[in-house]
Amino acid sequence: MIFELIKSVTFFELIALVLTVTAFICLYRVVFGPRVGNRIIAVNVIGTKTAVLLVLIGFIFDSLYFVDVALVYALFNFIMTIAVSKYIEMGRI
Amino acid sequence: MSKKKIISNEQRESVIVRTISRIMIPFIQLFGLYVIIHGETSPGGGFQGGVIMGTSIILLAIVFDLEEAERRISRKSLTALMSFGLLIYSGIGVLDMLSGGKYLEYTKLPLPLPAHEISTLSMLGVEIGIGITVMAVIILLFFYMVGDQNAT
Repeated sequence: MIFELIKSVTFFELIALVLTVTAFICLYRVVFGPRVGNRIIAVNVIGTKTAVLLVLIGFIFDSLYFVDVALVYALFNFIMTIAVSKYIEMGRI
Repeated sequence: MSKKKIISNEQRESVIVRTISRIMIPFIQLFGLYVIIHGETSPGGGFQGGVIMGTSIILLAIVFDLEEAERRISRKSLTALMSFGLLIYSGIGVLDMLSGGKYLEYTKLPLPLPAHEISTLSMLGVEIGIGITVMAVIILLFFYMVGDQNAT
């Protein structure tokens, strides 16, 4: 039964699964990162992975609306990274 | 004159961030308009589109200066826009009441159109009103928070 389940997983579902697992590996770097730069870049990578994951979910469920959500997510991820970097660099926004 | 002040500002962002932001800001605003206008048929609506529109100005204020953003859109005009969006929203509601329906009951409007088209047009107007209000409030909150932080 498990073998049938594994055989029924399509390519895109596999990619989505791998992206989820690697996002958790990045979460380790966010929690235990030695410097603040490591944390910022790890959060940024997690956000990028999530944007790709949203597009993949939209493909799997055959819905175009997820592309809009992914665009907004990537956009806010970009702005969040710039704001946090500037705040850490200069002490103000 | 104001442009010269920005270039001579020593605490400016790097050229990569400035160039990417300058390219991205019009597309962010276009995407916000798309989210507002397609509010009934896709995820999003007035509030979400307004937040995206406001984010473009917030990005401008982060990457360039707060004065630069306030030169583009001042606090006075933001307050006016805030009230104007609410006026659109409640004005459509009151127009519906004046033409014999309940508050925001779109189909009673005396327009020479089929009922579902009147409903869609009124809903678009309401979404635009919400979008303008949310955009102005988000930008104004950011201005006040960052302005107070920089003053101290």
